[in-house]
Amino acid sequence: MDLEAIRQDFPMLQAKRDRRPVVYLDNACQTLRPAKVIEVMDRYYQETSACGGRSMHRLANEVASQCEAARETVARFLNASRKEEIVFTRNTTEGINLVANSLPLGKGDVVLIGDKEHNSNLLPWQMLAKRRGIEIRIARSRDDNTFDLDRFSSYLDDRVKLVALGLCSNLDGVAIPAAEIIRKARANGSLVLLDAAQAAPHQRLDVKALDVDFLSFSGHKVLGPSGTGVLYGKYRHLEEMQPFMVGGGTVSSSSYDGCEFLPPPEKFEAGLADYAGIIGLGAAIDYLEKIGFKNIQRQDLLLNSHLTAGLEGLKRFRILGPADPEKRGGILSLAVEGIDPHRIALMLDQMADVMVRSGQHCVHSWFNAHGLPGSLRASVYFYNTVEETGIFLDALRKIDRVL
Amino acid sequence: MFCIVAFIILAIFGIFSAGSRELAREAWGCVFRRVTFRPCTTGFDEKIKSRILGSVINRSETAARLLNRNFELIAWAMFLIVTASSVYAVRGLYLFYVTGSCSGLNETSFCLLDPSGENSTVSAVDAGCREKPTTVEDLTLKEADLRSFPTIKGKGEGSIVVIGCYGCAYTRRVYHSLKELAERNGASFTFIDYPVKVKTNLMTRLGYCVYRQDPSRYWKLNETLFTAQLPTLDTLEGARATTAKLGLDWGEISRCLDAPATRDAVDSQAEEALKTNFFGTPTVFINGKAFVGPKPDRVYAIALKGLAYWLK
Repeated sequence: MDLEAIRQDFPMLQAKRDRRPVVYLDNACQTLRPAKVIEVMDRYYQETSACGGRSMHRLANEVASQCEAARETVARFLNASRKEEIVFTRNTTEGINLVANSLPLGKGDVVLIGDKEHNSNLLPWQMLAKRRGIEIRIARSRDDNTFDLDRFSSYLDDRVKLVALGLCSNLDGVAIPAAEIIRKARANGSLVLLDAAQAAPHQRLDVKALDVDFLSFSGHKVLGPSGTGVLYGKYRHLEEMQPFMVGGGTVSSSSYDGCEFLPPPEKFEAGLADYAGIIGLGAAIDYLEKIGFKNIQRQDLLLNSHLTAGLEGLKRFRILGPADPEKRGGILSLAVEGIDPHRIALMLDQMADVMVRSGQHCVHSWFNAHGLPGSLRASVYFYNTVEETGIFLDALRKIDRVL
Repeated sequence: MFCIVAFIILAIFGIFSAGSRELAREAWGCVFRRVTFRPCTTGFDEKIKSRILGSVINRSETAARLLNRNFELIAWAMFLIVTASSVYAVRGLYLFYVTGSCSGLNETSFCLLDPSGENSTVSAVDAGCREKPTTVEDLTLKEADLRSFPTIKGKGEGSIVVIGCYGCAYTRRVYHSLKELAERNGASFTFIDYPVKVKTNLMTRLGYCVYRQDPSRYWKLNETLFTAQLPTLDTLEGARATTAKLGLDWGEISRCLDAPATRDAVDSQAEEALKTNFFGTPTVFINGKAFVGPKPDRVYAIALKGLAYWLK
């Protein structure tokens, strides 16, 4: 992997006006975009800005064909059986909400989730518990934050209709053993939904091999535009589900008394689509596939190992999750003793142009349960360098000496 | 405490920078919570502290450590400094408004609002005129007999006495507005001509003679002389032309100009003027209070009518 050449593809990583580029270590929040993604979106607005799939003129046809090409790209990326299993959403959250509101879950049904779920995979179920009387079960992790398969298995019974889990935690980067979980859930007769927001940028997703029922991820975490996302669903499930949001583009016809919904995925894609975003997402996935997940994972490990080793001697910083960087993907999440993580994040920005995340990362439930105010999270991606992680560590050591 | 200091400083910076305005708004949110006895929950103080520390730490870790440990103390010190500076600034603005100088009446120290110090600059009297130089403290009307000087009696209260000279730029700047101020408000108005900058002894005598002949035409003469071109101001031709313009008999005026008695009277008036201890023109006495240099019009109006002069 030619890192220098790759960095040239990202405008944000180019020095501007004799100022070095920022050290962007907030990739778990969103990744940077290569110029190619920006170009295709720009081209949509400059050359083919029209309503795809609605109007009949050539611009509309071109947009429709580009969007369908993007759908095919995503289907290939996930190894889906057919492109109709791909529903475009605004983000992972919308995908999960779609499933929560469209599955026929009712009183007494159980949704089993993990204890480190992002609010996106917690709040929709809490809402469903209030509205429809479903029950939420939470499978606690081990002390080192890794997934406890035995404990999980103990929660499975015939009332568990859905297992909804984050494939990779945005809190600490720990991934779950998805294949085994799905096997057990399947044996229990439960459906499985995977929140792949953090996993999609770092690991090959094969929905066919996993035999997962639903999988959702966001465009902004896979080099794509913000405001784009994907929900994968097995076609037969999508066919049976009622749409969550309805309106323009979801029906073949309507009368004053009712309507006739289009087949999936259209019946779930209400309103005018984010055409530029969808086209951009397709370009982002193309780019990602060119880089290759082997390269991405190799770089993740290199950088996270460097970060982990560099923490030696910094007593006030404690890694959340396992000590082994290989088990934390591209994330280094640090609990900080006696200092507000927000303060450190602001100082890192000010003193070294290092961008990291601080706080509870939308996993308030876990932090509150563990009595922690938050953490400082550095998250790397394939375009980051060892030199950049060094800048982060140097600044962190300075802060440790001073505060 | 830090929020208050930050709010004041950022509000000032906010005049010039949109970024500071946004921060000032955040600081205000914090200040508002504090003054309503609630804790500041906006995180503003932490945010600014972190930014400051982030900047300092790159220059000196020792300084950053000190700053971090004593932040509250430094914030208090800053608060006191900002408060004192604010009071001083407000005082300066007030003094500039009422006296034309940031430091007080007739003060010549640097003032940001009058950087050249023109409001207190005078055309200086030749030092040879006095045994020892006089200062602002010496200025008084008590020793001088003003009865021989041209005066417009006002119908109301108050008096304005102007010591100036026809050829001095600073007197020329304020003469008309002072006379108008007196007329508008029924104050008495006395003008004492004392040539200091440009030699205008002939005009001084002309003024004396015209006033003796017809006081009302004397004020018209002043109007003419204060707007006349300086090179032709003190010439015999100029005097003749001005006299003609006023409709006076040049022969009579000419005799008066050359009369030894006129010279004696003018000298006597100059001596009387010097008894005020003035050291430059214009020096203006409003109700006995001395104003040295050409002050803005409002300063004279305030001295005559009070702070809210525009309401009266």
